[in-house]
Amino acid sequence: MNKNDLKVISFLAYKNISKSKATFFVIVAVMAMSFLSITFFAAIIDGLGYEFEEGMIRGLTGHLMIEPSADSRYLENADSMVGKIKKIPEVVGVSKRVEASAVATHKTIQLGVPIFFVNPDDERQVSRFSESVVLGDYLSRKDNAELIIGTDLVEAYTREDDAKKSLDVTVGDTIQLSFSNGMVKEYKIKGIFKTGSQFSDNNILINYDDYEDIFHESDVASAILVALPSRGREEEFTRKIIDLGVTDQINPWQSKMGKVKQFIGSLQITNTITGVVGLFTAFATIYIIIFINVTNKRKQIGILKAVGIKKEIILGSYVLQSLIYGVAGVVIGIIAMQGLIALLTVYPLSMPIGNVVPILTTNRLVTTAITLILASIVAGFFPSKKAANDNILEAIFGG
Amino acid sequence: MNKVIISAKKVERIYSNGIVRTYALKDVSVDIQQGEFVAIMGPSGSGKSTLLHQLGLLDNPTNGSILIDGEDVVQLSDDTRTRFRLEKLGYVFQSYNLIPELTALENVYITPMARGMPEEEYTAKAKEMLTKVGLGDRMDHYPSELSGGQQQRVSIARALVNKPKILFADEPTANLDSDSSADTIRLFRQLNKEIGQTIVMVTHEENEGKQADRIIWIKDGIIDKAKK
Repeated sequence: MNKNDLKVISFLAYKNISKSKATFFVIVAVMAMSFLSITFFAAIIDGLGYEFEEGMIRGLTGHLMIEPSADSRYLENADSMVGKIKKIPEVVGVSKRVEASAVATHKTIQLGVPIFFVNPDDERQVSRFSESVVLGDYLSRKDNAELIIGTDLVEAYTREDDAKKSLDVTVGDTIQLSFSNGMVKEYKIKGIFKTGSQFSDNNILINYDDYEDIFHESDVASAILVALPSRGREEEFTRKIIDLGVTDQINPWQSKMGKVKQFIGSLQITNTITGVVGLFTAFATIYIIIFINVTNKRKQIGILKAVGIKKEIILGSYVLQSLIYGVAGVVIGIIAMQGLIALLTVYPLSMPIGNVVPILTTNRLVTTAITLILASIVAGFFPSKKAANDNILEAIFGG
Repeated sequence: MNKVIISAKKVERIYSNGIVRTYALKDVSVDIQQGEFVAIMGPSGSGKSTLLHQLGLLDNPTNGSILIDGEDVVQLSDDTRTRFRLEKLGYVFQSYNLIPELTALENVYITPMARGMPEEEYTAKAKEMLTKVGLGDRMDHYPSELSGGQQQRVSIARALVNKPKILFADEPTANLDSDSSADTIRLFRQLNKEIGQTIVMVTHEENEGKQADRIIWIKDGIIDKAKK
């Protein structure tokens, strides 16, 4: 194939496409829709998985979770450790927590509840609680005998078919908490929060100072949560924290995922399966559409061959057309997908687990784009090769 | 006398459908001189178009030999036959067979373009040819915007633009009205007289056949009679 052949190939492809605009737009639209249908669902699933992880990170673990070594119940000198870690450049937030449990009583209902004793100001940088208050207010440092409660513990926010017990309370009501050391204290509900994560919304948050009053222990923590600028830098900051002389366990969020990891793993397997099925379906759809288009051009192919145009030129022009369909469809699909992602970033999908923003990974984008472009080339190649190899008279006159 | 440009010997074309073998051409031998205007005539189904397709390298005979310009074209590879058609033969079909996506000008210059001619040259040649067939003012029209007679003239211009050794025409007037038919045959006669264009034309119409130098009569796949 020489330079002139390429010129004729381009000329024929251009003329075919420019004269058959309706066909071009239909094929490109189908390509773009195929791209969208494959990537959008996958991006939602990826977004869902991300949100699950984020729920854990911004509720229970932080990006890094410093915990006492196996033989200790608490981290000692917690305030000093928090202060030092806060000074590490780029660290977004550090918060100490003490996890406890209590029996909550309101009217006739008694409920075992997990409790986090926290510093409300530090917690703002690490978790979502402060920004997730749906009724009332967030805790302040000075609050005493006040708490905020997750929606999963409040009857007004639980689903009718939820068999779990909940408290018929609202902001301003008082509940009684009975702690493991026998201490009983009444708390006024200052706010109700809903992060959307089931790992967070069944908790109660109380000011850390109350822990000292109730348990007569100070400067301890069950865990210190560290928020980083982004995921993926856990190792780097773990080293920096170790350099500060911290000898306790420093666990990245990934190691704390437990069942969430299994769930997300299942989601990813589902996503892979639906992605492969989607790719095959799109491949078949595109193949059929381009196949029909090229088959309809059988007569033209026969005429071109009859007047002496080389098979390679005929074949090349149809493959080039198919490539143009593929690239145009994928480009429009990517633009539409980016538009959808931008829209859903501003207006996220509200799901029971929280607000989900679709995530389109580069790997998925490239795989889908290559597959669809390949599908269009293959779909253009075989029927045009067959037509170019056909008997000229059969191609022109049918048969 | 001019040299023989087409020499077909004992050409057979057999179509097989399972065990049924149909002889479309049987033992046909024919010589055509350079610069001759030959009409192939006969009743429907007699094999006249089949003969034209064999001579014009659009089909392969089952048996026999065909020499065109001294070259045994039956033995040529598919690619060489394509090149041969591009460089030495021109075709006019009954239903014009223009490429609908190309304008009249583009339909004409696509073959010189494929031959690697420079753009200025093939554009000029195509324009000249279209002007010659009376379509100087219709060059940028698509086939769908032209009448049947105009489309046939575009197809003639396409056939002649490469100055072919032989022009093959398969019932070129079958879809045309009587005026356009007469124009087409007149054009063929003129080309034959003025530039010595060898023309092999299949036709149903005896008055068109009479315009040719010679008529080859075909009946039931064999040559019936030949007369000048």
